[in-house]
Amino acid sequence: MPKYAMVIDQRRCVACMACVVACKNENDVPPEQYRTRVLEMVEGEFPQLRMELRSELCNHCDNPPCVYNCPTGASYKRKEDGIVLLRKNRCVGCKACVAACPYDARYINHEKGFADKCTFCEHRLKEGKEPACVATCIGKSRIFGDMDDPKSPVRIALQNSDATVLLEGAGTRPRVYYIKKFSKPE
Amino acid sequence: MELTVTGVNALTSPHLHIWDWRVSLYLFLGGLSAGLAVMTTILHLRKGGALVKGEPAGYIAPLLVPVILGIGMFFIFLDLDRKLNVYWFYLTIQPLSPMSWGSWGLLVFFPVSGLFALASLPDDKLSWLMVEPLKNLAVATRVYLFPLAIINFAMGIFIGIYTGVLLSSFVARPLWNSAILPVLFLTSALSVGAALMIMIARTNKVRLWFTKMDIWMILAEMVILPLFFYGQFTSSGAHRQSIMPFFSLSHEYSFYGFSMLVLFVILPIALVMKMLEIKEDHEGELTSQALAKMRLSACLVLLGGLIIRLTFVYAGQLSKFT
Amino acid sequence: MKLSRRTFLKSSGVATAGLAVATAVPEKFLLWAEEAGLIKATYVPTFCEICFWKCGAIAKVLNGRVVKLDGNPVHGNSRGKLCARGNGGIGLLYDKDRLKSPLINVGKRGEGKYRKASWDEALGLVAEKMKGIKQQHGPEAMALFTHGAPTDHFLPLLSAYGTQNVGMPSFAQCRGPRDVGYELTFGEGPGSPERVDMINSKVIVLIGSHLGENMHNSQVQDFTEGLGRGAKLIVVDPRFSIAAGKAQQWLPIRPASDLALLLAWINIIITEGMYDRPYLDQFAEGFSDLAQAVSHCTPQWAEQETDIPAAQIMETARMMGQNAPAVTIHPGRHATWYGDDVQRSRALAILTALLGSWGRSGGLFMATKGSLTKGESKPFPEPGKEPLNTGGYPFAGAEGVTQAIREATISGAPYPIKGWFVSGTNLLKALPDQKRTLEAINKLDLLVVVDVMPMDTAMMADVILPECSYLERYDALAIGKGKSLSVSLRQPVIKPLYESQPGWWIAKELANRLDLADYFPWTTYEEKIKAQCVTAGISYDDLKKLGSLTIPDTAAPYITPENQPVFKTASGKIELSSKELKEKGFDPVPVYVRHPQPPEGFFRLTYGRSAVHTFSRTTNNPALNELYKENEVWINAKKAQALGLKNGEYVLLINQDGAKSNRIRVKATQRIREDMVYMVHGWGSTPKELSRSSLKGADDQGLVTRYAVDPIAGSTGMRVNFVKLQKEA
Ligand SMILES: Nc1nc2c(c(=O)[nH]1)N[C@H]1C(S)=C(S)[C@@H](COP(=O)(O)OP(=O)(O)OC[C@H]3O[C@@H](n4cnc5c(=O)[nH]c(N)nc54)[C@H](O)[C@@H]3O)O[C@H]1N2
Ligand SMILES: Nc1nc2c(c(=O)[nH]1)N[C@H]1C(S)=C(S)[C@@H](COP(=O)(O)OP(=O)(O)OC[C@H]3O[C@@H](n4cnc5c(=O)[nH]c(N)nc54)[C@H](O)[C@@H]3O)O[C@H]1N2
Ligand code: SF4
Ligand code: SF4
Ligand code: SF4
Ligand code: SF4
Ligand code: SF4
Ligand SMILES: [Mo]
Repeated sequence: MPKYAMVIDQRRCVACMACVVACKNENDVPPEQYRTRVLEMVEGEFPQLRMELRSELCNHCDNPPCVYNCPTGASYKRKEDGIVLLRKNRCVGCKACVAACPYDARYINHEKGFADKCTFCEHRLKEGKEPACVATCIGKSRIFGDMDDPKSPVRIALQNSDATVLLEGAGTRPRVYYIKKFSKPE
Repeated sequence: MELTVTGVNALTSPHLHIWDWRVSLYLFLGGLSAGLAVMTTILHLRKGGALVKGEPAGYIAPLLVPVILGIGMFFIFLDLDRKLNVYWFYLTIQPLSPMSWGSWGLLVFFPVSGLFALASLPDDKLSWLMVEPLKNLAVATRVYLFPLAIINFAMGIFIGIYTGVLLSSFVARPLWNSAILPVLFLTSALSVGAALMIMIARTNKVRLWFTKMDIWMILAEMVILPLFFYGQFTSSGAHRQSIMPFFSLSHEYSFYGFSMLVLFVILPIALVMKMLEIKEDHEGELTSQALAKMRLSACLVLLGGLIIRLTFVYAGQLSKFT
Repeated sequence: MKLSRRTFLKSSGVATAGLAVATAVPEKFLLWAEEAGLIKATYVPTFCEICFWKCGAIAKVLNGRVVKLDGNPVHGNSRGKLCARGNGGIGLLYDKDRLKSPLINVGKRGEGKYRKASWDEALGLVAEKMKGIKQQHGPEAMALFTHGAPTDHFLPLLSAYGTQNVGMPSFAQCRGPRDVGYELTFGEGPGSPERVDMINSKVIVLIGSHLGENMHNSQVQDFTEGLGRGAKLIVVDPRFSIAAGKAQQWLPIRPASDLALLLAWINIIITEGMYDRPYLDQFAEGFSDLAQAVSHCTPQWAEQETDIPAAQIMETARMMGQNAPAVTIHPGRHATWYGDDVQRSRALAILTALLGSWGRSGGLFMATKGSLTKGESKPFPEPGKEPLNTGGYPFAGAEGVTQAIREATISGAPYPIKGWFVSGTNLLKALPDQKRTLEAINKLDLLVVVDVMPMDTAMMADVILPECSYLERYDALAIGKGKSLSVSLRQPVIKPLYESQPGWWIAKELANRLDLADYFPWTTYEEKIKAQCVTAGISYDDLKKLGSLTIPDTAAPYITPENQPVFKTASGKIELSSKELKEKGFDPVPVYVRHPQPPEGFFRLTYGRSAVHTFSRTTNNPALNELYKENEVWINAKKAQALGLKNGEYVLLINQDGAKSNRIRVKATQRIREDMVYMVHGWGSTPKELSRSSLKGADDQGLVTRYAVDPIAGSTGMRVNFVKLQKEA
């Protein structure tokens, strides 16, 4: 049973948006909607500046409020690998999951009406491929793998660096880890 | 900080955008039907059933409960983006989802309130039912008036609370994420229920009785509302931030500020009007002026209830867990 | 389950299955049908043309429709990855605004009134006019402006026709002065892709190179990999670029003063003895002249010029010196800044040489030993008149000095230019001084444009010939000269949509009508490529299946006793002081000359790239437009406040000559110096046929009414204009 997770090494992100476009094509995401995004944050005053680049997506939380709040069971956390998924044919489009996610990781597919979000590209995992955003990540900032496998790139990445999760206080226990907040080495 | 985000969904950015007046109306009407259900039970059972005698509200109010509930449910149905899948609400029970309990709760409440309405229908009004089987059913249910009233009461309280829990269960939205919110919504539901009852009632004793009830409910609301804000203010930064729209002078939030102002004006006015009403001598018939005043104060209460639902639904979506 | 890279080979067996006629599966059900296993995807390798990096891509085709592009793992420029633009290539393919059929102008030039025409009629008309021009004025009266893949078809066509007047913006508006500067120093340019060994660098130095925003795929991969392995980064940029955000040392230099900084660095490296003496002894000459010439360039002097503290100049020089030779001084790419660009590039090259980084791990590696013979062709006619494309500049390259041809078109001297053939370049956006470009166009008897989109220049043409997109055609083999030699194939993923046609077909059909068929002796382009593969000893079948082949044993990146560098300079050595320049009357060692700074109330106009767009060509691409819909003018937040400008509000830019821009949003930011503004190049296109990008954002080129010509290479420095901001009325 793999335990999938992603590590985002922010130091290596260059805000190129390849992930954003790849994800849309791979998953047929409608125009103006997104499963993943990239934040550019700059603090300070010229010329004392600090930049943080951060890509965000569904955290596949181990304690997922979106799943708890779904009235139909359309949203669920898959037992075998921990990916938070959606049974589209069950979704009523009530948007409770959208409200429940503290990461704003969800949207309602405006062409089809169901709730949607990142699936860790589970259809690609089945074919033995990495998620589309990971495969195309120019900076190798996105790292994907099985937390239970000591040789997986996520484990190796986490061993060598301090990692945090987003909004730890929300108690969601995310499976997407972030390395080194500020891309500029302190 | 300078922030640029590429790949934002309009639905969640710059703030959540998922629910609008349809959901507000659903919460309001759901609350109203719940409150009214509670009030009808009281009407039937208080003073050993003495109140209901000669009072058309005794059968009109119970009839209104499922009707209002139905309209409310229609609005939530309107909000669903995949209406054809609505049956899935009833093919599963999701114990952690308030919306799931709510949909099941409504499924119970709807027939219960309907049956109660049938049971409370007097003989001379049976003709409203048109078809024979219904009339027979109405007659048959009369035996169960008392247990039905009790269940009706319980369901009313449940639904009243549920409309608040629905929102308060979202950790992600600090304005909603408060244990006080369900209590606030329940008291508000009861007060609008009482107010509607006053408007339906034809006899002075009933009007006065519910005016008194309403005074307590409004008082409770006027205590709980500040308590809610106080609770938010003393909680996390995000919670404190979440009530800002209500107390900000910036014109971006004028809708919320103005609504609060209205609320803080109309509730006391309604309260005072009601206090004066019960002081007046009502031995004889109400003057048309007195009646108008009574209706006006009831309307203010209803308006207050609507404002609470509208502003909370919208303002909650501006708040964010940080 | 173990994750492995795509084993695309298995699935790409039927390379052109995508060409099979689409079955009747409605689009709505596509994904569902795929999930349900009703239809199978096919994968076709090709390479990208959204920019000139030519990354290997693999197209996933479902039901006759391209649904996804992935990077080709065996291709050196993509390594399994595509940038945002490459990923968005499908957006171009299915852009509803594409040019769909040949169009013939029926109004005045530039009025944009066109009627549809058949290929036969349009090509016939072009051929007839070209023949007329040849008869009346000689073949030299036709000029070719071209960029990118179409060049491989239309350069032979126009050469066969008999003109050598060719201009590519990649020279005089882009890499020209850089390449000349390096050639004068090392005898060859830094290559494209630049042969920067950033993966192995200990220090990476970017001088105005905004990698990350400048999204040349494999180069950015190397950049982040180098940083990931611990390379220190020095970024010289007046703007806090994405790269600057990653730098240990950010030097927000006063624009136009880079040469002063470089000379100071050179001086420090020399005076502190941090240069690679044995390396220089062996390979270089002119050291003492250099040392002498830069001796006055102290850090204190440079501080005055550059606004960078002397201590920081010192510290950064030492960072380089202590880590040499594993230091990449990035040669930059778009180098046409201030008109002294060959000399600035020379300084970069000299610094590289002093550190001993040329031919060393972590510096600049040496080009592959391998080469491929191009297919034989019938020799082109000798020109009857002296070609104009070097513009008389002593070191201008064969890619041509575009604006020199333009000026000759206007003046008619030394001989008339009556027709322009334009392919793959949007001249109105690419060349400085737009008014002159328009003036020249209005003098023409014939303007033919081959394009995929109704861009600004196309919509001026007498005849527009719609090329199909890169996903629908064969093009010339791409020969990669990285560490190893590689060959890549572009092949159609689906059939051309509408009536569009591949460039090779258009060129060949025109050749037929111009009685030049002998130069195009094959029937299909695939046939030509196959023949080329046979000559080169490459398996065409493998190429078709894999998309790209790396020729083994062609890499020799670093200097070793067995692998000695060859410098094709006049002296056969690295020329720290250039004899050739001296002979032609230029400074043999770069000399800093102060450039004018903006007057009170004005800001220097600078420009650059957005990571999700390529110049003007992607602005209307639906997949990319949605990420960045219009450009913004960056202005220092303090300045914006002083001017009463708010973030997001629209302003007009007005330059020193009164040229006014389209409206553009303000980006008030701490990320930029106070003496300049910055914008992404390529916006503000005018054709209304561009439903998404028409009149969105402002066109920097419209404000570049002045340019500083580099006397050595003829390239156009375009950052010499000053603008003020005016609130939109
Ligand atoms: N002010 C200013 N000027 C600049 C620059 C700048 O940054 N600022 N940059 C300079 C640099 S570095 C460069 S390299 C040049 C670039 O100059 P250009 O190469 O002219 O740049 P684009 O604006 O992308 O124009 C490309 C044109 O080719 C068309 N095209 C795209 N794909 C195809 C195809 O497959 N076939 C055909 N036939 N046509 C195609 C596009 O639709 C578009 O009309 O501009 C230079 N000029
Ligand atoms: N996404 C994307 N990537 C591209 C392209 C594209 O269209 N889109 N085009 C490709 C092409 S053809 C080229 S030529 C390259 C160009 O890419 P580069 O060679 O990196 O481009 P420049 O335009 O020289 O650099 C722009 C940077 O120079 C800074 N700058 C401005 N004035 C000065 C100055 O006086 N001194 C210094 N030190 N810095 C200054 C600006 O702030 C900006 O950060 O990009 C390539 N990559
Ligand atoms: S990030 Fe949001 S959508 Fe994803 S699992 Fe967590 S709560 Fe659910
Ligand atoms: S929108 Fe769909 S997935 Fe989300 S909570 Fe409602 S039913 Fe569940
Ligand atoms: S894992 Fe797949 S679905 Fe999730 S963000 Fe990446 S590409 Fe999109
Ligand atoms: S593809 Fe990678 S480097 Fe590029 S923006 Fe996404 S996470 Fe960052
Ligand atoms: S760098 Fe990007 S746009 Fe350019 S060829 Fe490569 S994938 Fe295509
Ligand atoms: Mo360029």
